Amino acid sequence: MERPIDIQLDKLKRRLIKMSSIVDEQVDNAINCVVNWDLELVKEVENSDKIVDTLDVKNERNCHKIFALNQPVAMDLRVITSALKINSNLERIGDIAVKIVEFCSELTSLPDFYQNLRFPEVADYTRKMIKYSIDAFIGNDHKIARDVLEMENQLDKRIKNEVQLIKEFMEFEKSNIAPGLIFYSIYNELEHLGNHAVNISEEVYFIVKAQSLKHQTLD
Amino acid sequence: MRTKIKIENLSVFFNYIQALNNVSIQIPENRVTSIIGPSGCGKTSFLRTLNRMNELIHGYRLKGKVIIDDIDINEPDIDVVNLRRLVGMVFQKANLFPKTVYENLAFASKIHGIDDNEDVDDIIEHVCEQAAIWNEIKDRLHENALNLSLGQQQRLCIARALTVEPDILLMDEPASALDPISTAKIEELILELKKKYTIIVVTHNMQQAARISDFTAFLYMGQLVEFDKTTKLFMNPSNKQTEDYITGRFG
Repeated sequence: MERPIDIQLDKLKRRLIKMSSIVDEQVDNAINCVVNWDLELVKEVENSDKIVDTLDVKNERNCHKIFALNQPVAMDLRVITSALKINSNLERIGDIAVKIVEFCSELTSLPDFYQNLRFPEVADYTRKMIKYSIDAFIGNDHKIARDVLEMENQLDKRIKNEVQLIKEFMEFEKSNIAPGLIFYSIYNELEHLGNHAVNISEEVYFIVKAQSLKHQTLD
Repeated sequence: MRTKIKIENLSVFFNYIQALNNVSIQIPENRVTSIIGPSGCGKTSFLRTLNRMNELIHGYRLKGKVIIDDIDINEPDIDVVNLRRLVGMVFQKANLFPKTVYENLAFASKIHGIDDNEDVDDIIEHVCEQAAIWNEIKDRLHENALNLSLGQQQRLCIARALTVEPDILLMDEPASALDPISTAKIEELILELKKKYTIIVVTHNMQQAARISDFTAFLYMGQLVEFDKTTKLFMNPSNKQTEDYITGRFG
């Protein structure tokens, strides 16, 4: 027997999946913009963000409507509170993708020290975290969600190494300072992307297992 | 938190029909406990075992123990009238006598031997203040009680139950026939009264159970499926049947 709330939750989830696929593509494009030095992607990422913003508002309104009309409890309650948070995390991921391409467009070309960075590798790792968190959400898979949480430390370590390298290049050559600061900011954004992937995964874990993993150190 | 009522392996039968099956539960003192479950699950039968009201029904049998304050209420030497004084009850529909407000409120006190009119007046004012109805009825004490609104009648029933100074209040769907404003008043009242009384509410309205109770018991087909803190039961029930019931997936 399908309850009225099931129809509304199903619609909400479909919208969130649509939003996550757009956001996923935004992240792909933002990273490719840097890696392939393809500035044509800047406009594409910015345009997609308008769609993401519209979906963000619609999803939020939808969640409020479901709350008001159904007084959800138990699993339904967890799904909706988590949907609200996943929605705003996705929207933030979209914003970060825009920031990355904007940073990129401040550069005239990729700096020489870029060859010594492991940017494609680190960016790909971040992209995987986002993809896995979305997969976990789509499939209600708490195991994948937990895997994402375990990836966070590794990402932080890799970014720290990269930032150290950038610092050294900036100290070594004055002309590296301006592009160095831009890449420092881009890595910062990658770290934020990882945080949002973790946030989404924590919500998925909460929906499925009714346990919060927030602010916990994983074994 | 002290246990007020301890129920051990309680089974209730009406002729050949078993209404409750081996229910064990400990109800805490000065808390509101809600009993939820679909129609016919045994909620009201359960409630009525707590003041032996089921005995008025033909073919009633009971197995197990109901212990209130360390006393088994089904022991033969228990004075049932006194038990029902200690365990007051409020029903779904207000059941006032077709008499004045004053006579309704004074009735129980007089039965229990309080003859002094001033004492009775004091009791009436006190319980009506406790039941948050004094301001509405103080100038209408000599009107027919049935002229009051349904919400007022129900609160008057609660006030009447308080006149004999019970320890426990049983409420069987106390707000199901009321509009949202009267319901809110009853709910506020329940939260106020729990400071002094142990309250057990049977309700079909799950949002009401969630709003007012500290603990909730889910009964299904005469069995206690789950009993837990209300927040736990409504946020993350341990039992699949409970989850299905509270989220409306039943049936």
